[in-house]
Amino acid sequence: MHEIGVRETVQFAGFTFNWETLVMTWITMAIVILIAFLASRSLKLVPTGAQNVVEMLIVWLREQVHNNLGTRGDFLTPLIVTLFLFLVISNWLGLVPRMASPTNDLNTTLGLALLMVLIVHVLGIYMKGMHYIKHFFQPVAPFVVINAIEEVAKPITLSFRLFGNIMAGEILIIILLKLVPIWMPIPSVVWLAFSIFIGGVQAFIFTSLSLAYLANAVKESEE
Amino acid sequence: MIDINATLVAQMLNFLILVVVLRLVAYKPIVKMLEERSQRIAGSIKKADEDAAAAEATLKEYKAQLATARTKAQEIMDKAEKRAQDEHAEKIQATQAEIKQMKDNAKAEMQRERAQAVEVLKGQMVALSMAAAQKIVSKNMDAAENEALVSEFIEQLDKNKIGDLPC
Repeated sequence: MHEIGVRETVQFAGFTFNWETLVMTWITMAIVILIAFLASRSLKLVPTGAQNVVEMLIVWLREQVHNNLGTRGDFLTPLIVTLFLFLVISNWLGLVPRMASPTNDLNTTLGLALLMVLIVHVLGIYMKGMHYIKHFFQPVAPFVVINAIEEVAKPITLSFRLFGNIMAGEILIIILLKLVPIWMPIPSVVWLAFSIFIGGVQAFIFTSLSLAYLANAVKESEE
Repeated sequence: MIDINATLVAQMLNFLILVVVLRLVAYKPIVKMLEERSQRIAGSIKKADEDAAAAEATLKEYKAQLATARTKAQEIMDKAEKRAQDEHAEKIQATQAEIKQMKDNAKAEMQRERAQAVEVLKGQMVALSMAAAQKIVSKNMDAAENEALVSEFIEQLDKNKIGDLPC
């Protein structure tokens, strides 16, 4: 990012694309696939090294999915695992010099949030049918207004939270580098460390909120 | 800064591609491996339980066998002891019987010898008496009559005196 807030765009088939965001997304995807490939290249029953880390992550997220969605939601685990890995790597990529997080672009975060909300509604209708639609009108019909606002608020809050956190982190890194003389690296280092933490936490928040929304659609009401 | 454009759709597609790729490359094999591992662990635990049960059963069997063997050994020992005792008692009885037999024999022998001695003594008495009587009477008396006389005399003597002779 050379100038804050200004994005390089390319035109393709009549559409406008943020070129930097796309490139960074592909780099992120490549890193995620590489990690997954390295971790699962030689799977052993007694795990070692990278397998341990990825395995731990998958087991942990599987447990989260299982606790939130019940057995009916097990098929969503790959989605949740991918979401978390993609977001963590995205958030951390911006901390590398000359790189930017794909998540510092609202297009990425809103795209993901909309995708999640879309999946929630499609799954809700598919798995619960009329029952799912009816629950927007409960306890009484006028509540549909409040429910509609909530449903609209979901992707907006989800996307702006992540976007704001990552964008602010990267802006502050640039500002710190410009404000503080180069012989005084402590503020930058501290902020960088905090950004690593924020990146992980925001990825987790996005993932768990998606899970919570999914639970609404997938989990059986008796459970 | 927050201009929304076609990147949004592109990012959705990118993410969906990533989901599909990750599911194929990593998720499926790892989950398969995890299930394999849990099955293996369950199998190992089950096998360990079975082994422990089998070991316990074998131990029980051995213990039972040992107890049987011990009882049998005790029985054999008891039998041997009893037989030894019986034999001992039998021998003692036999010895006692032998001793009694020998005693009886000795007594009978003594009786016989005593009777024989009495007989001999009787004969000698007759001869002596005869000789003494011949010398006293010296004449007129035939031998047969004398002998009968003396025999009668000795018979009476025998009844009264000889029975008191020490054996």
